[in-house]
Amino acid sequence: MADVSGAGPSVAPPAPTPASRSVSSTIRSAEVDTRLLGMVTALIVIWVIFGIGTDGKFLQPQNLWNLSVQTASVAVMATGMVLIIVSRNIDLSVGSMLGVVGMFIALLQQEWIPKAWGFGYDVWWIWIVAVIGGLVLGGLIGLLQGSLVAYVGIPSFVVTLGGLLVWRAVTFMLAQGRTISPLDPTFLLLGGGSRGAVGEMVSWAIGIAVSVAILYALISNRRKRLKFGFPLRPRWAEAVIGIVGVGVVMGAVWVANSYAWPKGLATRYAQEQGITEPPGGLIIPTGIANPVLIALAVAAIMTVLATRRRFGRYVFAIGGNPEAAVLSGINTRRVIMMTFVIMGVLAAVSAVISTARLQSATSGAGVGAELSVIAAAVIGGTSFSGGIGTIPGAVLGALIIQSLVTGMQLLKFDNPSQDVAVGVVLVLAVGLDQVLRKRAG
Amino acid sequence: MHGLKRGFASIGAATVVAASLIGSGAAMAQSPAADDIVVGVSWNNFNEPRWAAFDEPAIKDALEAAGAQYISTDAASSAEQQLADVENLISQGADALIILAQDGTAIQPAVQSAVDAGIPVVAYDRLIRNDGTLYLSFDNKGVGRIMAETIFPLVPKGNYAIIKGNQADANADFLRAGMEEVIGAAVAAGDIVIPEGCETYTDNWDPANAQTNMENCLVAAGNDIQAVLAENDGMAGGVIAALAGQGLAIPVSGQDGDPGALNRVALGTQTVSVWKDSSQLGKAAGEAAVALAMGTALADLPGTAPFVDGDLTLTSMILTPTPVTQENLQVVVDGGVLTQEALCQGVTAGSVTACP
Repeated sequence: MADVSGAGPSVAPPAPTPASRSVSSTIRSAEVDTRLLGMVTALIVIWVIFGIGTDGKFLQPQNLWNLSVQTASVAVMATGMVLIIVSRNIDLSVGSMLGVVGMFIALLQQEWIPKAWGFGYDVWWIWIVAVIGGLVLGGLIGLLQGSLVAYVGIPSFVVTLGGLLVWRAVTFMLAQGRTISPLDPTFLLLGGGSRGAVGEMVSWAIGIAVSVAILYALISNRRKRLKFGFPLRPRWAEAVIGIVGVGVVMGAVWVANSYAWPKGLATRYAQEQGITEPPGGLIIPTGIANPVLIALAVAAIMTVLATRRRFGRYVFAIGGNPEAAVLSGINTRRVIMMTFVIMGVLAAVSAVISTARLQSATSGAGVGAELSVIAAAVIGGTSFSGGIGTIPGAVLGALIIQSLVTGMQLLKFDNPSQDVAVGVVLVLAVGLDQVLRKRAG
Repeated sequence: MHGLKRGFASIGAATVVAASLIGSGAAMAQSPAADDIVVGVSWNNFNEPRWAAFDEPAIKDALEAAGAQYISTDAASSAEQQLADVENLISQGADALIILAQDGTAIQPAVQSAVDAGIPVVAYDRLIRNDGTLYLSFDNKGVGRIMAETIFPLVPKGNYAIIKGNQADANADFLRAGMEEVIGAAVAAGDIVIPEGCETYTDNWDPANAQTNMENCLVAAGNDIQAVLAENDGMAGGVIAALAGQGLAIPVSGQDGDPGALNRVALGTQTVSVWKDSSQLGKAAGEAAVALAMGTALADLPGTAPFVDGDLTLTSMILTPTPVTQENLQVVVDGGVLTQEALCQGVTAGSVTACP
């Protein structure tokens, strides 16, 4: 999770002498991303405050589970927005893309395929075709906008501002004032709900697999550094990172599993399966929700793409110094165009999640989402001056925003004050970042 | 595109004016006979499907039945355009106007000049603050009352969640006031409790926001909620998704006669959708316009009542909306809102009478 900058892989400064070791140099020698650390601290502070303020309701498994599902859609798009902003562009159309793709997917499965092509409603594969169609549509919209930015040279602000208007209008035309529902029951599982989760055993299995992956990455990274003679982290730092990483992963799985199926659902399930309910009621752990799993998978893929693939390197290089990137032979236009294609596909993924979660497609879906997505990326440390940003940071940013909104709702703040809080946190986060960066030189 | 449309409209205008000059120049002086009457309708935005699908045909039918002539303009959501549209309709010789106002204040100058010229104006669905007009609409406060009247007998005691619309929209509070008329006494007596965090406004009436609000309400109340009053069908959809996530199936209200919501009523996940039958509104508007053009005084129209808005008292004709529940679902199929197939999708055959 190292901070990626256009300057290439971050190289640790020489190990400090024990005498001069302060808190900051300790952190530096451990190569922990201080910005990420700051955000995690901020998130913990926010959770504790809301936990106390709501008499623990905020920290209930039910609420934390809801929070994870509520964050998923914005988090997915925020990972794409990082690449867009890092390469000194912006995409204002993501909310409208979400709207149009969601409507397209719903109409495909609810009207066009069943009625126009006469397949009827109860065909199992229709929703799969609809989802693939939606992802393709998202990619095509991204391709169109990306080409206009990269090859025609229209500023991305203008192209995507146009997109914001056009795709919303297309959504309205497609919807014709209707809300499209009901949708396929299997499709709805992608949006969460108690049945839209992977269950206890699979959740533990995923947790263990991710933990093993973290430990493996730490070890193999250390071996590589040894081989090439790079400076090493102190052993204690490796151990702390390993323990904290595994702890967070398994803790999250534990929270998801301690959220049991709500009574009504458990009772119905017992009746369906012909099980007699035990006196205390049937306790079925819910596990990680499908949309959260999708968001985590997207974040993992995007992190690898951004930090371990040539494409990601190019994106950061272009953002760090566009002229130098061109001169060094990078096909900058193609790379820029691809960031928009990725953004379009991710907006489509979010459309799937939010449409399935709402169980219907509305013409207003995703209105204003571009602002949450950009705010998530920026709170997560993505810089508008280009070249700086991380995927995990953006996901954390999304989680911080949603925590603020949900927490304030539980504390009965009205909508305008929630917006005030998010706005203040946004400006504060960027301001603090600037000050710290200046001090660091 | 607008220029072109306007061009055609003015050609039309010229024809109409010429016709009225040749044909019935003298008729303007007295109250015209029904078959000479021209009724001008100014739509604010014809792109919204509702107007073309339900309201316009109903107005046309009513006018045709009376032998009157229909002319119309579309302001495409522009208040300035609508001002010009109304003036054009007057100069085209309209004997009565039906105006769906984009902006009830900005339209005032044109409405005043019509009233001054003795041309009756029907303020269609939206209030125009001018006491020379007939305010024709559904009873919005009544919608809230009907929602509560449907839910309250099912859950006379228990915890209620109230999911309101946009805070800046006066309608959200009208609806809430209507609910209060029904449940107010039970709330005061402690039979109905609205747990903290369970009465929320919803940004932009957005279903997704309503879903999040409902989820947070369920967290705050520990899932101990027995009924939900949601102010429209879209938000009811979000509420029901949140309830389903907790395995709850409790009475939920809505309004609009949204096809998805009507399907939910058939499925039994939503209790009621309060439906404002637009064709009923269109018919009333057409009939009122003709009657007024023939010289009937505003106050003498059957079914009118005074309507007080601040310091202004208007003449109004307020229609009662229809609560659509499982018992009377057939009315929406008969009303052409949706097909029986769409209504009954996923519904067990025979579980409701509308889905045999």
